[in-house]
Amino acid sequence: MRQVVSWVGSACVGFVRACVVVIVSMLVPAVWAVAVAWGIWWGAGNPWSWVAPVVVAGVGTFGLSRPVCRMFRSLVARWTGTAIPDGYRQAEPVVRMSTGFWWNGFSYERTRRDALMDQRWRIWWSDPAVRRDLRFTGIAPLTAGVIAAVPPAGVAAAVLGFSQPSLSARLVGGFSLLAAIASAPYAWRAAEPVAARFLRASPAMLLAARVDELTAQRADTTVAQAAEIRRIERDLHDGAQARLVGLGLSLATAEKLMETDPDQARALMRQARAGATTSLAELRELVKGINPPVLNDRGLIDAVRALALDSPLEAAVTADVSLRLDPPIESAAYFGIAELLTNAVKHAHATRARISVARDGTGLVVDVEDDGRGGASVRADGGLAGLRRRLAAFDGTLEITSPAGGPTRVRIVVPCASS
Amino acid sequence: MRIVVAEDLYLLRDGMVRLIEACGHEVVATAATGPETLDALLKWRPDVAVVDVRMPPSQRDEGLRAALAARGEVPGLPVLILSQYVEQLYARELLADGSGGIGYFLKESVFDADQFIYALERVAAGGTAMDPAVIAKLLSSGSSNRRLDRLTEREHSVLALMAEGLSNQAIAGRLFLSDSAISKYTTSLFGKLGITDDDSNNRRVLAVLTYLNNP
Repeated sequence: MRQVVSWVGSACVGFVRACVVVIVSMLVPAVWAVAVAWGIWWGAGNPWSWVAPVVVAGVGTFGLSRPVCRMFRSLVARWTGTAIPDGYRQAEPVVRMSTGFWWNGFSYERTRRDALMDQRWRIWWSDPAVRRDLRFTGIAPLTAGVIAAVPPAGVAAAVLGFSQPSLSARLVGGFSLLAAIASAPYAWRAAEPVAARFLRASPAMLLAARVDELTAQRADTTVAQAAEIRRIERDLHDGAQARLVGLGLSLATAEKLMETDPDQARALMRQARAGATTSLAELRELVKGINPPVLNDRGLIDAVRALALDSPLEAAVTADVSLRLDPPIESAAYFGIAELLTNAVKHAHATRARISVARDGTGLVVDVEDDGRGGASVRADGGLAGLRRRLAAFDGTLEITSPAGGPTRVRIVVPCASS
Repeated sequence: MRIVVAEDLYLLRDGMVRLIEACGHEVVATAATGPETLDALLKWRPDVAVVDVRMPPSQRDEGLRAALAARGEVPGLPVLILSQYVEQLYARELLADGSGGIGYFLKESVFDADQFIYALERVAAGGTAMDPAVIAKLLSSGSSNRRLDRLTEREHSVLALMAEGLSNQAIAGRLFLSDSAISKYTTSLFGKLGITDDDSNNRRVLAVLTYLNNP
């Protein structure tokens, strides 16, 4: 009984949805039909009567293609939960140059209005999504539209058939009513695969989006690299170099004092030795920040083990021992784990951490979990954002779940083929 | 003592040889690569070897591997590892066989000639000598703390100095305590760590191992 009720419900919902799909997909063909009828009605004595209908059909098609596609996307998303990204090209902000002209990403214009108009036109003209939408408005009525039309058409045929007195017409009406009822829950479903197949971003659009993404990443990477080099230079200049100068001075003075004041000379020598030790320690820290020696000697897994040993946390490492990756990826993963462990101590006040490094089918997967107080988030200028940028250079991702009260779980995924 | 020096940088190697000879010990062989080091260690069987971690041909941890391989052949062959860096990971690997005769120091420890030679002698005698930097790292790391929670503050510092390779007298000097007080502390900490061995040298090594090893 309950099954029957639910089937009837789904049939009613399906019938309504099928009608909606038919209406949306037949909008453009309806415009064409109107234009053709207009041409026929006018065309009796006037040789130029075809112009206006063609203009109407053309403008109608171009004007309706995007709204129809948007409606299709929103219907599919609402009914099935399948979100289809539209991939329309976004307009860049129009900026005024120091010359007084307006730059819209394509050309310089005298006024802001001209720049916006020109930009809109060029984006529309160059956007591959427009051609895709036009293609879809042609495909949709012949696929999803036809299939979704079965229940309403069946009902219409039944009404017509039962209104005729002849038996054969009534039989046809009965059969079409059966067909309508049987297909009602399912007919609208054709909209989803059709939309998913033809409303997706085309390869050209994907490529354009990828180029934009890579351009942004390249800019990020070069900026980060330049900052890193500046930092290293500053550290060397203010640290080790300055200390070596001091060391030379102490030694020179000690040399002068050798004959006259041996005790003072000895004291200076001791000072010089202490200075050498300090500058070595500074250099060691600096080198660790550039490329940790243990990473060079042993690779990622042992380097992470060493990290866990040095961390004040009780950190357990589980790792796939045979893992060897390209050095840049290993380096990024290492610094990522180091950053996360530091955060766990400094911000989350954790006492334990679990680190796992493994491969799955697509690449390197690093999980770091701590028992801290959670509430971690990626701030625009924070360490996690920097880490995310660093990983982005390899198409790597960083996902973080950190509810208040913990635990914090971070997953780093870097797609790569192991070497 | 008969000593082998393995170090790839000529300046450092030469300096170390001079320093050792100036202190009246004999350098029987030098080596500049991992394989050479292994050969020299097995051929000369020195009283103690000074080995750098990073060496050609691969510029990875060749020296460390050579030392471990040699100790695999000749258990307890005394080796003092010198490195620009101290890694707990390496310290644990060196101590894993439990036979003592291991030292692990930062390169700048040679600045203090007396301390360096003293460490060499400790290692040659089958003890362990660890750089204070290793010890400091151990004290701050989370993994070994639980095991040592039972120790008092004082026992902790005695154990740390023991791991550096100091004798009881030297520890007494550092902590401004009497020798008898130190031996009392060592006895109690051996007890707490469950080490009951008669050979005092071996007991010290075991204590350091306990100190270094993961629970």
